[in-house]
Amino acid sequence: MNNLSLVATATTPAVDFNASTGLVALSGESYPENAFEFFKPLLAWVADYVRQSSGPLSAEIALSYLNTSSVKSVMDLLDQFEAAHRAGRTVAVHWHYQQENERALEMIEEFKDEVTLPFFIVAVPG
Amino acid sequence: MNLFDLKEQLQGAGILMCFTGTFGRGIVEELGTAVKKYLESSDESRKSAMTDVFSVYIEAAQNVRNYSERSGASSREVIDANIIVIARSNEHYLVYAGNLVEPDDVPGLTSALDRLASLDKAGLKVAYKEQLRKERKPDGGAGLGLIEMARRASEPLRYTFTPTANGQSYFSLCVAI
Repeated sequence: MNNLSLVATATTPAVDFNASTGLVALSGESYPENAFEFFKPLLAWVADYVRQSSGPLSAEIALSYLNTSSVKSVMDLLDQFEAAHRAGRTVAVHWHYQQENERALEMIEEFKDEVTLPFFIVAVPG
Repeated sequence: MNLFDLKEQLQGAGILMCFTGTFGRGIVEELGTAVKKYLESSDESRKSAMTDVFSVYIEAAQNVRNYSERSGASSREVIDANIIVIARSNEHYLVYAGNLVEPDDVPGLTSALDRLASLDKAGLKVAYKEQLRKERKPDGGAGLGLIEMARRASEPLRYTFTPTANGQSYFSLCVAI
């Protein structure tokens, strides 16, 4: 299967999904007009990867702001990770944020509360 | 029209940004980017307050835009009624959003807003998490916008519905941060 790569725009994050390593990277901010449409191919990619490969699945996330429609889609993405984790696959999420960004930390902690997979919050010094 | 008077009036009312009319493709988001730059360059020391103002602006403006789209937005009247304002008072940033709504939608909106007004921060978090776990609405919306605004606000959301001559209702929302 192919890698999925998108450059960041003002309202959408940079996307770099690697089919050979199972590493999914997202960074920037997400508040597009239609977050549901933006995330649809990303969710489909992860579903395909899980179907076609038995390799590990990991995420390196550095999303600092999400509108609520993007929050919903990122929750869907994390649910896919959670399902893979529960099915016995090696899964991990690392979520990076700028140390002084309290709101980002609150958002990340709320996502972490929703899953049981290995989830690491990484503070980056400002 | 005397622009100096208009400018004085806007300044007097503490209005930082005001946009009205067609919330066309990408406009809400482009303005949002400008708002963010402006807030970042202001002397506001509480970074989290800036994030809250930006977030409330995005949710309020995208709600107005999505409602227009859902209702077909065929009528000029509906589109022209859309307005979003960011203002500064002594103690707060204020985000206002206004649009025409169908009378049938008023009871549902009223009960949703009154329910949110009755919740404290912990209650709002529970409501947010419950909604996060619900199916998306048919239009792709997550239904989280109002709860998000209430969570970022420093006091309950204020709103009015004003009946219009043609039988619709004008919804005006004010969020104090």
